[in-house]
Amino acid sequence: MSFPDDLLYSREHTWVRVDGDLATIGITDYAQEELGEIFSVEVPLIDTYVEHDEPFGTIESSKTVAELISPVSGDVIIVNEELSDDVGIVNSDPYTTGWMIVVAMSDPGELDNLLGPIEYSDYIDAEEGSR
Amino acid sequence: MEEWRYLSFNQYNAFENMAIDEAILRVNQQKEMSPTLRFYGWKSPSVSLGYFQNVRNEVNIEFCHDMGIHIVRRPTGGKAVLHEKDLTYSVVARENNSLFPHGLLGTYRVISECIAAGLAKLGIKADLLKEGRSTGALDLGALCFSIPSQYELLVNGKKICGSAQMRSKGVFLQHGSILMEFDPAQTYSVIAKSDVDITRQKEKLKKQVTSVHETTDIKTDYTSLCQILASSFEEFLGIRLVEGKLTSEEETIKKHLLQHKYMDSRWNMEGKAIEWIFKE
Repeated sequence: MSFPDDLLYSREHTWVRVDGDLATIGITDYAQEELGEIFSVEVPLIDTYVEHDEPFGTIESSKTVAELISPVSGDVIIVNEELSDDVGIVNSDPYTTGWMIVVAMSDPGELDNLLGPIEYSDYIDAEEGSR
Repeated sequence: MEEWRYLSFNQYNAFENMAIDEAILRVNQQKEMSPTLRFYGWKSPSVSLGYFQNVRNEVNIEFCHDMGIHIVRRPTGGKAVLHEKDLTYSVVARENNSLFPHGLLGTYRVISECIAAGLAKLGIKADLLKEGRSTGALDLGALCFSIPSQYELLVNGKKICGSAQMRSKGVFLQHGSILMEFDPAQTYSVIAKSDVDITRQKEKLKKQVTSVHETTDIKTDYTSLCQILASSFEEFLGIRLVEGKLTSEEETIKKHLLQHKYMDSRWNMEGKAIEWIFKE
């Protein structure tokens, strides 16, 4: 399982690639593995305002339906159109072609709530170890 | 001993049933609550659809309207279920509850084991399916009961209980349908296209699906089955169920969801994204 160094991670298992005030968002390798085969992804329309810690979309896999929780607030400016042709890229390539939305952040300070790759990996270990 | 809230059997219409389940989940997300086990029935025949199902492609809307069958979209995944002679359960709990093993399938396994233990008291030997399998018949693929998934319950190789779940912000809602009786013709008609031979599909379904009344001679009604299952949950999980009711907060969210989501054809027929629902 990989957690690239150049990304930030949320406790709701999304990743963020920051480029100035823009945040590209997807789900982590851990999340896609937990979900199993992904059948459908529903993401917001362009110009939708998404809020930190609130649902921004939904994902259906062979095991469950999971709400996607936004790690930041802002307007959605780009949506990954490739997902409608081949949603399998979220499983096979979650950090590059399997990204979901790009948000123009209204409060980049929200990034301070996110975790680095080592912290995120520790967080997952602690979650799994709590059972 | 961990206490769970128990919402004992009651019948509501399709829209209320889904609004209640989701309201329990939403309040649980906002604050720490005991897990909830709920049993319910459906006031009139209804078909519930999985979150991502396409109603027009996968349901015979005209047949449903003619027969007075309500159509509701669930917040959970999976395929279509006809609720006519079934008992439905729901469980809402935090994902990190130590009674459930880690992983999305852990809740399916544990809840199925509770139900299997209850069915065993009726002399029904239900097995947990170790691996999901394909329906083998695409024309039945829109029906939940035609596709056994991992950790669902089979009796003599036939599905008796179908389950589905959703997860959000550390809380899961899982609900499922336990068939008291099975009517393959009616079930198939819900998804049938007019040019398909119903008799043949009915026979296929008969080989794939069974019910409580088909598998035991012990007389069972909804109330007695709920009592048996509730005690099995208590015994298997080592919990104590405490009879309760919805909180005022849950009632408020339920009413809101009912009005703005589950009685709204945009949700039921088109499954439109719902970010507007929680923002007034």
